[in-house]
Amino acid sequence: MNTSRSTLIGLSNVVICVCLATASILPSVSFAAANQFSLPLYETVVLKNGLTINLMKQDEVPLITVNAVIRTGAVNDNISGLANLTASGLLLGAGGQSKLKIEQSIDFLGASINAAAGKEGSYVIAEFMSRNSDALLPLVQAIIINPDFDAVEFEKLKQREIAGIERAKESPRNVISRYFDKLVFADHPYGNPVSGNSDSLATITVDDLKSFHSHYYQPANTAISVVGDFDTNDMSKRLETLFGDWQNSEQIKQPDSAKDLPVLSVANVLLVDKSDALESTFIIGGMGISRSNPDYVPLTVINTVLGARFTSWLNDELRVNSGLTYGARSNFVAYSKSGTFQISSFTKTATSKETIDLALKTYARLWETGIDQATLDSAKAYVKGQFPPDYETSSELAGLLSDMFLYGFDKDFINNFESKVDGLTLKESRNLIENNFPKNQLQFVIIGNAAELSDIAATYGKVKQVDIKAVGFYPRAPSLDAAH
Amino acid sequence: MTQFSYKLLLIGSLLLCSAQTQALDATDIQSFTLDNGMKIIVLEDHSIPNANMYTFWKVGSRNEVPGITGISHFFEHMMFNGAQKYGPKMFDRTMEAAGGANNAYTTENLTVYTDWFPSNSLALMFELEADRIEHLAIDPEMVESERGVVASERSTGLENSNFITLMEEVKASAFRAHPYSWSVIGHESDIQNWSLDDLVEYHKVYYAPNNAVVVVAGDIQLSEVRKLAGTWFAPIPAQAPPKKITTVEPVQKGERRVYVQKASVSTPNVMFAYHLPATSDPDYYAFDLLNNILSEGNSSRLYQALVDKQIALGIDTYLPESFDPNLFYFFAVASPDVSAQTLELALIDAIAKVKENGVTDKELEKAKNLKLMSFYQAMETINGKANTIGTYEMFFGSYNDLFTAPESYKKVTPADIQRVAQTYLVKKNRTVGVLAAEEDTDK
Repeated sequence: MNTSRSTLIGLSNVVICVCLATASILPSVSFAAANQFSLPLYETVVLKNGLTINLMKQDEVPLITVNAVIRTGAVNDNISGLANLTASGLLLGAGGQSKLKIEQSIDFLGASINAAAGKEGSYVIAEFMSRNSDALLPLVQAIIINPDFDAVEFEKLKQREIAGIERAKESPRNVISRYFDKLVFADHPYGNPVSGNSDSLATITVDDLKSFHSHYYQPANTAISVVGDFDTNDMSKRLETLFGDWQNSEQIKQPDSAKDLPVLSVANVLLVDKSDALESTFIIGGMGISRSNPDYVPLTVINTVLGARFTSWLNDELRVNSGLTYGARSNFVAYSKSGTFQISSFTKTATSKETIDLALKTYARLWETGIDQATLDSAKAYVKGQFPPDYETSSELAGLLSDMFLYGFDKDFINNFESKVDGLTLKESRNLIENNFPKNQLQFVIIGNAAELSDIAATYGKVKQVDIKAVGFYPRAPSLDAAH
Repeated sequence: MTQFSYKLLLIGSLLLCSAQTQALDATDIQSFTLDNGMKIIVLEDHSIPNANMYTFWKVGSRNEVPGITGISHFFEHMMFNGAQKYGPKMFDRTMEAAGGANNAYTTENLTVYTDWFPSNSLALMFELEADRIEHLAIDPEMVESERGVVASERSTGLENSNFITLMEEVKASAFRAHPYSWSVIGHESDIQNWSLDDLVEYHKVYYAPNNAVVVVAGDIQLSEVRKLAGTWFAPIPAQAPPKKITTVEPVQKGERRVYVQKASVSTPNVMFAYHLPATSDPDYYAFDLLNNILSEGNSSRLYQALVDKQIALGIDTYLPESFDPNLFYFFAVASPDVSAQTLELALIDAIAKVKENGVTDKELEKAKNLKLMSFYQAMETINGKANTIGTYEMFFGSYNDLFTAPESYKKVTPADIQRVAQTYLVKKNRTVGVLAAEEDTDK
């Protein structure tokens, strides 16, 4: 195993959002602005059944990525984990071909097809060599439209997923954000863990998957983005042949995620006991922003100063100056109608208080001293310089097109990125900090040895404690004080 | 999004190649060597307005001795902590203000520094790198603070990864003489105790230009790289070559076993490690394809034998690139109510089937297609290109081997794979590690 200097790469791990369908057949436009990174040309076609198809030619290597996104995820769970189990279940056999037969075909061609759900979207992603399109495209179609949900394979998948949640809890880093979302959003749909929990998964049946699939997996609720080495006209015809007859059925019921968002009036601390913990893993934060926030780009610049690069304030204080941790960072996790802001780090049990206090003190600098011009300029240069490699591969570009469909943003996000970054002033940064970063009633999740931490936890807010091995990601009763 | 793969780890190797491709051609790559012995490899790629600089140093945990285990990795951290012109923190601050980012990683064999930047910052990268290569200032206060950082890095690995926890113990048992015995991050007590003199000596010996290969890829011109290398790297004096690693691990004469108790583990984890030859051995290609056949995709041998049969929740295999003979790892996590022993027997059985019946032509063709796919994916990014070129230069003697690799893979037959399995995947050559919640007892 390699050992790296830092794991602090990338900006916020934004996830998914909802939007209305894009207009039909957008003409190709060239975005060849000089000296500025711009999104490659692509075409959008909306079929008669409402299916959105995005086609972007990229021929550096003979590969194709298909990224299909369906507007459904954990927010649509009527049983916790159902969206994700449905997405995973797509791969258990389709169109009359068994799971094994499909896997053998895919692997033999060196290809891959994966499926999983997020909070607001479910994805089927295929990557293959362009010479194998004839074999792969019909498979992708069958997996999305005609999954078999084989009962024997489903039972095996379910048992693996249940055990997988137990296993995930062996690693605090893997599960801490599930606890944090539950702490912040409580019973609001954004609090739903994508994975579900071991009890909820146990109750899910094949019929639940079939009914979830037939309700949400409809063409008007789906976008298929294809990026790679192909002829655009030819690919467009192939997809129309494969997906043109797919019929919409019932009206889809989507939750109004803008409704009933919690108001965090109390500082809560969720202390998750892991009795053999070698260290304390923590998140501090609160409500954040939605992906459609018009200040999304300038806020990522400000967050870069605070906690999204090596020289960020948090990493500089907690790691470089004090040696308390291997890394500290902050980020916005943005959903379609809301989101969270999180500061995260870890430290040995004995220095838990010192580290959390220093994180809070560093965070307070946003208001107390604010950002100076040199730091702002540096952060702007940094996010601009690191932006193009985020959209270098067919897979990254296809993911971007899926996000555009879900979130309702367009090519301007890429093409105006630099000017939005450049436009941020010091004065504006103060306004943005005031209005978007949670200042009071902060929420804490600490995973570690509770016997050593309970007194410390109490200094930050009202403490609830749960054993990490307890089912789910929050204490069962009484319910949390993240009041509605 | 949730994790897609049943695979337990993300130790994908980019070191892959196969059949003819237009993705990268030998003539796309240029190289030159400075008088001080530093080799520079250049790949122009104008697909995005960015470039990178990967510096590969031939130093890793294999160059350490007891008492200073982990110092290669610690040194990697110290390379960011101040030099002559750019003092503490200034390397990162200067780079980030110019739109660049960096990281670095250390392995058993190598220390690799990676700079990613908008291509108009190329000159600054040379200046920053030259400053720390020639004039690193090892500040005692930074050393003390960095010990805490690395201790935290060690601890967070053990807290969050069963693979890391088990591998450390398995390696220590599989190797009793060769320095591959200890983990790259080193022993905790060594992290607390290496001295300033150890660090000064390490820099002098290993961070000499004749011990490095630099790869620059992206939106740059060869002529510009040549000029900048002449200005910034050429004046750095060469040093006597580092001492050769002469220790040869004695042949293992019987199975070795280790057991690790960790209360929070939900089901037992089992690791096998078999000694095998260095990456430079002609059999590497057969091992690499076997590695794929065993664990790549749901149609793989181990997925079918263990995961599909509900004996394991996940499986993986790991074949590290290596200067000296190293280990071929197998890793599996038991399904609920499956004992470590049952899982172990199922793994042995799956391996035995390869030894007894070999692999099919179709499995071999599949493995070659998977290699080709991975190769194209690596060639899709300037970072994948730089890392692949550098890795070939390090482990196969020359980046030119990247272009003969397809032929080497093509030559591998099912009989070759069966032969290497029969030769190396034998009990007496194996170390078994078990990680479980229960105490190891006689019962």
